[in-house]
Amino acid sequence: MRRARAPLQPSRLPPNVGLGFKPEHFAAIAAEPQPLGFFEVHAENYMGAGGVPHAQLARLREHYALSIHGVGLSIGSLEPLDRNHLARLKRLCDRYNPESVSEHLAWSSHGGAFYNDLLPLPYTDETLAAVISHVDEAQTALGRRILLENPATYVRFEESAIPETEFLAEAARASGCGLLLDVNNVFVCARNHAYDALAYLADFPIDEISEIHLAGHFETFEADGSPLLIDAHGCVVSGAVLDLYAGVIARAGPLPTLIEWDNNVPDWRTMRAQAAIVQERLDHATGGGAKSAA
Amino acid sequence: MTTKTEITAATLAGALATALTLVSASAEMGGEKADKEKCYGVSLKGQNDCAAGAGTSCAGSSKVDYDGSIWKYVPKGTCTTIKTPNGVGSLKAVKS
Amino acid sequence: MTPHVFQNHWQSHWQNHWAQALLDPAGAPPPGVARQAGTAPDRRFAVYRNNVMVSLTGALAARFPAVKRIVGDEFFDSAARAFASKNPPRSPLMMTYGEEFPDFIARLDAASAVPYLADVARLEAARTRAYHADDAAPLTAADLAGVSQETLFDLRFVLHPSLELVASRFPVVTIWAMNAGDLELAEITDWSGETALIVRPALDVEVRRPPPGAAAFLASLAAGDRLGDAAAAALAQSADFDLAVNLAALFSGGLAIDAAAAKDDPQ
Repeated sequence: MRRARAPLQPSRLPPNVGLGFKPEHFAAIAAEPQPLGFFEVHAENYMGAGGVPHAQLARLREHYALSIHGVGLSIGSLEPLDRNHLARLKRLCDRYNPESVSEHLAWSSHGGAFYNDLLPLPYTDETLAAVISHVDEAQTALGRRILLENPATYVRFEESAIPETEFLAEAARASGCGLLLDVNNVFVCARNHAYDALAYLADFPIDEISEIHLAGHFETFEADGSPLLIDAHGCVVSGAVLDLYAGVIARAGPLPTLIEWDNNVPDWRTMRAQAAIVQERLDHATGGGAKSAA
Repeated sequence: MTTKTEITAATLAGALATALTLVSASAEMGGEKADKEKCYGVSLKGQNDCAAGAGTSCAGSSKVDYDGSIWKYVPKGTCTTIKTPNGVGSLKAVKS
Repeated sequence: MTPHVFQNHWQSHWQNHWAQALLDPAGAPPPGVARQAGTAPDRRFAVYRNNVMVSLTGALAARFPAVKRIVGDEFFDSAARAFASKNPPRSPLMMTYGEEFPDFIARLDAASAVPYLADVARLEAARTRAYHADDAAPLTAADLAGVSQETLFDLRFVLHPSLELVASRFPVVTIWAMNAGDLELAEITDWSGETALIVRPALDVEVRRPPPGAAAFLASLAAGDRLGDAAAAALAQSADFDLAVNLAALFSGGLAIDAAAAKDDPQ
């Protein structure tokens, strides 16, 4: 029951490994061509008027595919979307014409306050309706199909009645959005909520995936000694997550794959080495498999 | 001394002429600072990065409980070495 | 109240409960958080509480590094937490967070021993605004070469959008520079007040200590006054005001981006 409207610009990142752009790497990146599929930036860091951020992003954009990844639209909120913020996101997209725009199944604003974190929501008919409406509004405003990312969570809600994979599948079906599968988030949630990551991935609507995220996580412990994983983006991607990723790629075919590294950001050489490891897994999983790489 | 000088068109024109000379002289001396690195400036980290990284950092749980007694601290950074006319910057007893 | 209505009523409030609990370190986790074997809801919810507080105080630490150095990590962190728990961001643009932090410091009893601290914070807040301000090409001397002597007095300048002045009764530029790594930490003997001039003509943010009268000159130009009136205001503030040097700074320092002669009453 999609509404008639102008076709949305699809996500069209190249199916290779990309890295999150950090300003401290700019000089190293600009010094020579980088063998990367794309760069991803957080939208809100480029919503100032001018200066260094835009000078750097404009230069990057000349040479690389770009993914704009929002962290502040609060799509999972029950409140209406912040129209001013959506307008800012539209101006940014109009300025840089990115290959992809994505956001999170999470909320961050409520009652006029912004909490600067990706907060969880219960999965109910009510929140599903809100998410579909918000995604629809964002896509209409941007004129683009956006991608919605599965969250890393530390709690579950008693009233959640819909499995997360089903919630995402229905949100994608009803709004026409694509999905961004964060494999590290799947691993973190599976451990934190004691379920099977492979079963989650088997249920995930694989045909709707237009991008994959990978990141490192941090392991801490509950009072009783059971592990609690934090989605900290502060170290290399774990072997277990890479194995899950290889399984997804083997089924889905090659997909644009971003490595996120936001805390304890290492030097550019280390970032490149991490990208090369993942690119090899990507090539290996799709090269000799049933699905051939494009 | 230019105390109580009336600002006239001639004063302004003279000052502007001098200013233009100063500017062209400094441009010749300094040249254009056009090196590439400089062009992209000193960059600050984006402040919206923690949200996607869930902000705990690898410090993990150590900051989970935060201190309720906020004011048990007194300033004890460089202010303890900055001498003001009233003495050292931090007037309270500083325990180190 | 029917069960159905109650359900909606309750669900529409999970976000309220979360919002309240996130900034209250002493409070219980919000209702509705599931219990599961081997986990404590308090501990799990504390991860979110921690994420929020660490990210907000981290944003303040990034924006006010000299303030942090002056008071030390412990004092800064406790002040930042006190501020953040009462003043969460009102916008998703974290680059704008902390606009009220200087005023918060000024009202802080615990910071009364460092009375210059709030002005250092004001200077640092202005630097971040300048960093993200709109780009604008500075006026060049050539742009004014053709202006006739008769219209000079009536010239009105448009200053660079990044330009701000922070006036202080303390030597704020000196104190900031010593705590930003630009100057060696040393005893300050001259405790005269200083005004900071913050501007970003190209990409790098500059902090300067304008010469005598210059702050009054720039403030007057920024208010839209005519060049002749701005020069008079500057001379009134300081007899040492040097108009030629200050005009040169408007061009070579990138302080102005446009100029036009416009009388209050059209000719």
